[in-house]
Amino acid sequence: MSQNVLKIEHVTMQFGGVVAVHDLSMEINEGEIVALIGPNGAGKTTAFNCVTSVYEPTNGRISFLGKTIAQNSPNKKMRKIYGGTMPDAFTDHQVRLSPDQVTKLGIARTFQNIRLFGGMTVLENVMTAMHLRRKSNVFTATLHLNMAEEKAMKKKALDLLETVGLLDLQDEMATSLPYGKQRLLEIARALATDPKLLLLDEPAAGMNPQETDELSAFIKRIKDQFGLTIFVIEHHMNLVMEISDRIYVVDFGKLIAEGTPAEIQENPAVIAAYLGGEDE
Amino acid sequence: MFNTVFPYLLTGISVGGQYALIAIGYTMVYGILRLINFAHGDVFMVAGIVMVYLNASGMPLVLSVLLTLLITMAIGFAVERVAYKPLRSAPRMSVMISAIGVSYTLQNLVLYITGGLNQFYPKIPFVSDSITIFGVNTKMVTVITPILTVILVVALVMLINHTKIGMAMRAVSKDFETSQLMGIKINSVISTTFIIGSFLAAVGSMLYFTNYNTVIQTSGSMPGLKAFVAAVFGGIGSIPGAVVGAFIIGICENIIKGLDIILFKAGITKQNLGLATFSDAFTFALLIVILIVKPTGLFGEKVTDKV
Amino acid sequence: MKTKKKINTSMLWAALVIALVYVGVFIAEQTLPATSMLFTVLKKGATYALVAVSMNLLNGFTGLFSLGQAGFMLIGAYAYAIFTIPVADRVNVYQYYNGGLIQFAMPVVPALIVAGLVAAAFAFLIGLPVLRLKSDYLAIATLGFAEIIRAIFQWNKLGALTNGSNILREFPTFNDFNIRNAEGEVTVYLSTLVPFVIAGVCIALIVMLINSTFGRSLRAIKDDEVAAEAMGINLFHHKQLSFCISSFFAGIGGAMLAMYQSTIQAKAFTSAMTYEILLIVVIGGIGSVTGSCISSFLFVACSEWWLRFLDQKQMIGDFEVPLLRNGFRLVVFSIIIMIVVLFFRQGIMGTKELPDLFKRKKKARQEVKA
Repeated sequence: MSQNVLKIEHVTMQFGGVVAVHDLSMEINEGEIVALIGPNGAGKTTAFNCVTSVYEPTNGRISFLGKTIAQNSPNKKMRKIYGGTMPDAFTDHQVRLSPDQVTKLGIARTFQNIRLFGGMTVLENVMTAMHLRRKSNVFTATLHLNMAEEKAMKKKALDLLETVGLLDLQDEMATSLPYGKQRLLEIARALATDPKLLLLDEPAAGMNPQETDELSAFIKRIKDQFGLTIFVIEHHMNLVMEISDRIYVVDFGKLIAEGTPAEIQENPAVIAAYLGGEDE
Repeated sequence: MFNTVFPYLLTGISVGGQYALIAIGYTMVYGILRLINFAHGDVFMVAGIVMVYLNASGMPLVLSVLLTLLITMAIGFAVERVAYKPLRSAPRMSVMISAIGVSYTLQNLVLYITGGLNQFYPKIPFVSDSITIFGVNTKMVTVITPILTVILVVALVMLINHTKIGMAMRAVSKDFETSQLMGIKINSVISTTFIIGSFLAAVGSMLYFTNYNTVIQTSGSMPGLKAFVAAVFGGIGSIPGAVVGAFIIGICENIIKGLDIILFKAGITKQNLGLATFSDAFTFALLIVILIVKPTGLFGEKVTDKV
Repeated sequence: MKTKKKINTSMLWAALVIALVYVGVFIAEQTLPATSMLFTVLKKGATYALVAVSMNLLNGFTGLFSLGQAGFMLIGAYAYAIFTIPVADRVNVYQYYNGGLIQFAMPVVPALIVAGLVAAAFAFLIGLPVLRLKSDYLAIATLGFAEIIRAIFQWNKLGALTNGSNILREFPTFNDFNIRNAEGEVTVYLSTLVPFVIAGVCIALIVMLINSTFGRSLRAIKDDEVAAEAMGINLFHHKQLSFCISSFFAGIGGAMLAMYQSTIQAKAFTSAMTYEILLIVVIGGIGSVTGSCISSFLFVACSEWWLRFLDQKQMIGDFEVPLLRNGFRLVVFSIIIMIVVLFFRQGIMGTKELPDLFKRKKKARQEVKA
C-alpha cells in the first residue's frame, strides 16, 4: 500500500455567486504522477490555489500527509448563495494554513503565468527558495556568520540549475531568459524548497514540440531523483498521457472522470466535454 | 452643557464642509487614477494665495473671486498634464512620488513669492460678517459653508449621473483600460476630473481662509491630509462618502479641541489634560482604525485582487 | 571562477574609494577652518545618508511604500536626548517639569543603540496593524502614525519625560567629539569624522543585511508577493523585520540629527522631512544604497551651500541678476527634483552599487583591448 500524500475532500470554491470548483474530491498517493485536466476555465488553477492556500475553500477539507491544510464550511452569509453540496463533516472547526506554511510542510508549486523574481539573477531566484529551510537568524545572517550554510545553499542551487540545464545562465537576470527556460527555472526554484509534493501548473505552456518532449522525460527524471509525488495541470494531451499514472478530469468545476490514461481516452463524458468545450 | 458644546459643534460643521470640498478632489482622482494626489492640498493653498494677490491688485472683489476660481482650475489642469500624464504607464510609486514633488514645488514657489510671511486673507463682505446663533458669536461663513457644500455636492452628483462626461467618468473609474478601448478620451476625462476637483478646492479655500484669516505656504498640507483621511473614511472613490467623512472629521476634531473645557465644565475632570494637542492626531488615529476594521471605508466598494 | 575574481577586484576598488573618503574627511578637518560650510554639509549629509538608506531598505528593497521616517527619527532623537542630557543640566532643560523624570545620563554609544531600539519597538507595534495594508494605504497610514507620534511627544502630560513642546538641549553633540588639550583648545578635530563613522557602520550593516539570505527574501517580496509566499517566505514576518530594522536605523539617524542640531523640538519632525528624504532616495535611485548616499550629500550641499547664492542679490558689474532673492534656491531645487522624477526615473544610480561602477569600466576597457 502506498501512502496517501494529498487528500482533497468535497472541496467547493465559490467567488460570490460563481462556483469555480464544485465538490472536488481526489487523492494522490506517494510516488505518483497525477494530472488534472479540463477545458479552459474549468477550475484547475483554482484547485491548485486551494491546495497551496492562496484561496480558502468555501467548503471541504484538504490534507497533506495526514495534516489538515485547510478546512472550512460556508459561513452564514455564504450559505444563502451557496451553490455547492452542503457541508457535512467540516463544520466543527476551521483550519487555514498560510501559503508559506504549506510550502514549509513540503508542497511546492510553479505558476501558470510565470512569476519569477524579476529583479534577481537566475541563481538568486533559486537561492531565495531555500530561505525557508535556513538555520541562521537575522543577526547571524547579517553579520555573515552563516558562511557554511550560505555556501551549502549556493552549492545546492548550482546543482539544481545543473539538473534543469541552466547552470551556464546562473548570472543572467531571470526575466531575460526565453520563455521555456523561465519555466524550467520555476521548476528549479520549486525544487529548492525541498518539496515532497510538486504542483506543476501548465509546465509545457509556450514550449515548442521538441521542448515538450524533453519536458516529459525531465519530469519523470526529477520525480525519481528527488523522490517526488507530482500533481500536474496540463493542456498538452501527449504529455499528460505519457507521464501520468492517473488522470482527473474537471469541467465547469465538477469532476467528470478519473482513471488511468487509457481509461480516460475511452471515457465518453471526457470526449463530450472536450468536443463541446474547446478544440484540442 | 449645550452652551459649552455648541460653539465647537458649529465650527466643526463649518470646517467639515470645507474639508468636504477638498475631499471630493481626492476621492475623484483616486477613483479614476488610483493615485493619492498629494499636491491637492497645495492647490487649495495656492488658491488662497491667488485670492490674496488678486485682491491686493485692487480689482473688484467679484472679479477676483471669479479669476481665483479660473486660475485654480488652470493650475489643477496643468499639474495633471505636467506631472502625472507622462507617468501614465509608470509604477504607482513613481506617480505618488511625482505628486509629492509637485507638492514640494508648489510650496516652495509660494514661499518664494510671499517671502514666507503670513498673508492676510481679504474680507469678503457678507461671508466675513459676524452673526449670533443661539447666543454664539461667529462668522457668516460658518452658516454658509454647510449649505454651499450640500448644494455643490448635489450639483456634482447630478453632473456625474446625468451628463455624458459624468458617464465617461464613471466608466473610467470602473475600468480604465476597457473604457479606453471603448473610445472614451481618457485624457480629457482625467483633465475634467482635476478641473472639477480644483474648482471645489478653490471654493473650499475661500471659505476656509475667511475663517482662519491668514495663508502661508504650509497652510494646505494639514487640511489636505485631513480631507484625504475623510475620503478614505467615507470609502475612497465615493463622493457622498467623502462628504460624510469630512463632516465627521471636522466635528470630531473641533470637539476634541474643546474637550478639556467641555469636560471641565461638565465636572468630569478637575484639570486641563492638554487634549487639544491631539486634535490633529485624532484624525489619523481614526484613519488607521478604519483602515484596519473596514479598509473599504463607510461607502466604498469591495475590490478583489486576482491572483 | 572568472566572474568571481572580477567581483572581488571591483569590491576592492570600492573599499579603496570608501577608505579614501574617510581619510579625506579626516585630513580636511585638520587643515580647513572648522567654520567651513563643507563640514556642515558633511555632517548633515552623513546623517541624511543613513536615514535615506534606511528608507531605501523599505521602499527600494522590500517594496513597502512607507512615509513614517520622520516619526521614527523623532523617536530616536528624543530617546537619545532624554538619555544623554547630563544630570546637572536637567534642572535647566526641564525647567517647567522640576528637572524631569529621568535622573541619569548614558554614554553616547549605548544611547545611540537605545535610540534605535526604542524606534524599532515603536515600529514593531505600529507594524502589527499597518503592514497588512496595501501600497498607498500603507503610505498614508505610516504618515498618519508619524503625525500621531509628533502629537504624543508634544503632550504636556508627558512633559516630565519629553519636556512637552519645549526644546531639548545640552546633550552631547558632534562637536563634543573633538579632542581638546588642558587649555580647552582643540588638538584633533573629530566632529565630522565621527558622524561618518556612525553612519558608515550602520550603512555597512544594512548592506550586509541586503546581501544576506534575508535581503534576498525582502527583494523577493518586492518583486512578487504571491511567488515569495509560495516559496515559503512569511510575508508579514519579513515585512515586520524590514520595518523594524529600517526604523532602528532611522532612530539612530534621528539621534545623529539631534547631535548635529544640538537642540531638538518635536514640531520640526514634520511630514515635509519625510518627503525630503524620499526625494533623496528617488534622486539617488530607488534600490541603490550608493545612490542614496551620494544624493544625500548632493541634496544637502545644494540646499545648504552651493545654491545659497540664489537666495541673495547678485551683481554682475552694474547689472542685478533678476529673480534672485530669498527662496529662489528652493524653487530651482524643486524644479530639478521634478525633472529627475519625470525624466530620469532611474535616479543617479538606478539599482547599481559602487562595485558595479568598476565592473563596468573594466568590461569597457576589455572591450577596447579586444
